[in-house]
Amino acid sequence: MSALTQTRVAAPVTFWKAFVRRPEFITLSLIVIFCVVVGIISPSFLSIKTVTDTLRASLTTGIFALGVLLVLAAGGIDVSFTAIAIFSLYATTRLTLAVYPDAPYLLMVVVGLGMGLLMGLLNGYLVYRFKVPSLIVTIGTQYLFSGFLKAFIGSRHIMDIPKGLDLAGTTALIQATTSGGARVSVSIQVLVLILAIVVTWFILNRTLMGRAVYAVGGSIPIAERLGFNVSTVILFVFGYAGLLAGLGGMLHGALNRQANPSDLVGSELNVIAAVVLGGARITGGTGTVLGTMLGVILIELLTNNLILMGVPSTWQKVVIGAIILLASAAFARRGKT
Amino acid sequence: MTEQILETKTDNENMFLKLENITKSFGGVQALRGVGFGIAPGEIYHLLGENGSGKSTLIKIVSGAQPPDSGTMMVRGKTYSKLSALESLEAGIETVYQDLSLFGNLSVEQNVAMTAQLVTNKGRLSRILDWKLLRDTASAALERVGLSSNLEFLETKVENLPIAVRQLVAIARGLATKASLVIMDEPTAALTQKEVENLLSIISSLQTDGVSVLFVSHKLDEVFRIGGNVIVIRDGLKVAEGNLKEYTQEKISFLMTGKSLEKHSYRTSSPQKEVLLELSKLSKPGAFSDVSLSLHKGEVLGITGLLDSGRNELALALFGIEPAATGDILLEQQKAVIKNPRDAIAAGIGYVPEDRLTEGLFLQKPIRENIMVSILDRLLKGNQIDFEKSTSSAADFVKDLEISTPNTMLPAQSLSGGNQQRVMVARWLAIKPKILILHGPTMGVDVGSKDALYKIVQDLAQKGLGVMIVSDDLPELLMNCDSILVMKKGRIAKVFQAANLEESVLSQELLSEAIT
Repeated sequence: MSALTQTRVAAPVTFWKAFVRRPEFITLSLIVIFCVVVGIISPSFLSIKTVTDTLRASLTTGIFALGVLLVLAAGGIDVSFTAIAIFSLYATTRLTLAVYPDAPYLLMVVVGLGMGLLMGLLNGYLVYRFKVPSLIVTIGTQYLFSGFLKAFIGSRHIMDIPKGLDLAGTTALIQATTSGGARVSVSIQVLVLILAIVVTWFILNRTLMGRAVYAVGGSIPIAERLGFNVSTVILFVFGYAGLLAGLGGMLHGALNRQANPSDLVGSELNVIAAVVLGGARITGGTGTVLGTMLGVILIELLTNNLILMGVPSTWQKVVIGAIILLASAAFARRGKT
Repeated sequence: MTEQILETKTDNENMFLKLENITKSFGGVQALRGVGFGIAPGEIYHLLGENGSGKSTLIKIVSGAQPPDSGTMMVRGKTYSKLSALESLEAGIETVYQDLSLFGNLSVEQNVAMTAQLVTNKGRLSRILDWKLLRDTASAALERVGLSSNLEFLETKVENLPIAVRQLVAIARGLATKASLVIMDEPTAALTQKEVENLLSIISSLQTDGVSVLFVSHKLDEVFRIGGNVIVIRDGLKVAEGNLKEYTQEKISFLMTGKSLEKHSYRTSSPQKEVLLELSKLSKPGAFSDVSLSLHKGEVLGITGLLDSGRNELALALFGIEPAATGDILLEQQKAVIKNPRDAIAAGIGYVPEDRLTEGLFLQKPIRENIMVSILDRLLKGNQIDFEKSTSSAADFVKDLEISTPNTMLPAQSLSGGNQQRVMVARWLAIKPKILILHGPTMGVDVGSKDALYKIVQDLAQKGLGVMIVSDDLPELLMNCDSILVMKKGRIAKVFQAANLEESVLSQELLSEAIT
């Protein structure tokens, strides 16, 4: 009781103190350091445009990352989400063009989400039912989904996307012209990411499911003997990751205004790296929404702005790889103390 | 006649839990062969039996981790053929597991109070988590077991806690709900005397609240101090049930093992003149300081102390896991540098760790590999490991130490606790050590296996090995050692000769620090 009252009074200080000790602090520090260094080398970096560009680049990665976060926190791993995303986008686009070309964006999103959910649930079912490591399951389903897509649904690159999708990609939430004359805009899609962040945060931090996810990520046998329904948790996290993958796929289509069945697949590691850079352990049981978002921002800043520092494109991967290793080492060191 | 029937009937109604004719087999091995007993509210029960007697299986069945093959369980008059983990918790049965079953990745408060909310919400994961309630529940339970309930501790991840604190956290979880029955599977294994005292007072307060306690322990001294009822099982059958007052330790040992064991000194030889190991002013800041001692050939030296006494750290330093900062280690009059376990092994020091499951054994690997792992370089034939030699030497150890297994290629996890411990001893005997350090050697080991292990220790001493036993099992030290060092606050506080030493004197010395 007295401990509780004390907390409330000392909250701001305690929060900061606690935050410094958390893995997310490392991610935030890396972001700050990166911005300062790039800002010194190339002052044009410090602009509104960088903010909007980073935000735009973070939209799909951010949505995927939230799904990956849940799976990682529950002790699994998902590498099939890009295949789910592109499947959902492409199949929905073809379906819309064939039966209802004027379909509103929202309806398309619902269809895309539904497809994503089903594919995610299949992942979860395979993982739970056959007790196969999720890495293997999702490598398998990644091939399955993307192969099925190209073999049965189509391999043609669609440029003339349905109107609804096009509109959703071009509508801006905020539009402005900076003093330098550059036009900046924030896509309406940012609302989708915000919604996904809020929902994911709520699930992880305010529901019993959230605790169950971390419990299963900590130890499946212990979670079972303490009364958690482990199969529900596994189905849920993979289903949710599939749902977000479907959503991310639709968003990707809207922002790029095309549906290319060969897109996205191959970029899984980028997203997983973002989540791990946000402090989630690859071995499961940890990770936060805040950290994940910081990790996404860091990855997107790195991939899009190293060129400003004069790092030749061939060297960019070396730098990104080094930073990932550096951050992981920092997390591991902290983990010990 | 009629009176008797009436009595059993009321008995049934009053029972909180009643098991009847429970059987369970694993792959043809009959673990339980029709066991039944009743648990009345507010009563204390001790479930006793050797490792492999079926008591762990019985606990798993009651806590809902495994279904029985046949038999019934009655909880508050309601009959079940099996319980799920959730049903068992909902019925008010809380279990403090031997392996603690804590989530290392989650905070103390979540570990303590999370299940309570899962149970009140009947396992529905879509329900909202009440963080304030979680914190209140956790604080109350932690205070009850004597742990801090300050914010920093509540939010500490369990993986960052020492084992003894984890044990208390696991007990706190058992108390966090309004349980009707708390099952404690070896709850004192990692606790020191002081903490055990506290636990005993918790148990009696539970009893006053009408909560039943089912206690599983290998420490018969503790069992008799707690008192209450006893249920003894052997080979999957109940062999005795009744009030502890009707039994003696010797009788219980006999019932558990089927052979009689007496408390006596195991010492068969006395130390030789040659000094094997000499420590001079060995120190490690924050752990121990100015530790000087000598260990002779053929001597068995006991080291005890409370958890913060530095005894564990001293053992770890001698084996180079956490090397000492200053001071000298002399091995047979030669100054030795021990900076890591490789140095220690090269110097002929073997170390059997406290927690054989996480610090010692490769559980999934064959027994042969577990024994031979420390001398792989000596098994080389050309560039390859001589597996034939490996198999035959492992088989020799298995025979010498009477490790009961049909085949050295079976995984170490297939063995019972006592046999696992013997595998650990065999591993170090393989290096032909001069000194063997045993850290809590019989933690979680049954009476019969203890006896066997003690005989091995004495046999080794007779062959001229220097043995150090670091333990808080006082009877164990008294029965096996020549002298016993009591450590306090990192220093050697007192040295006793074990012969004719009363346990009460030793235990008083151990606890005296707590008072002053």
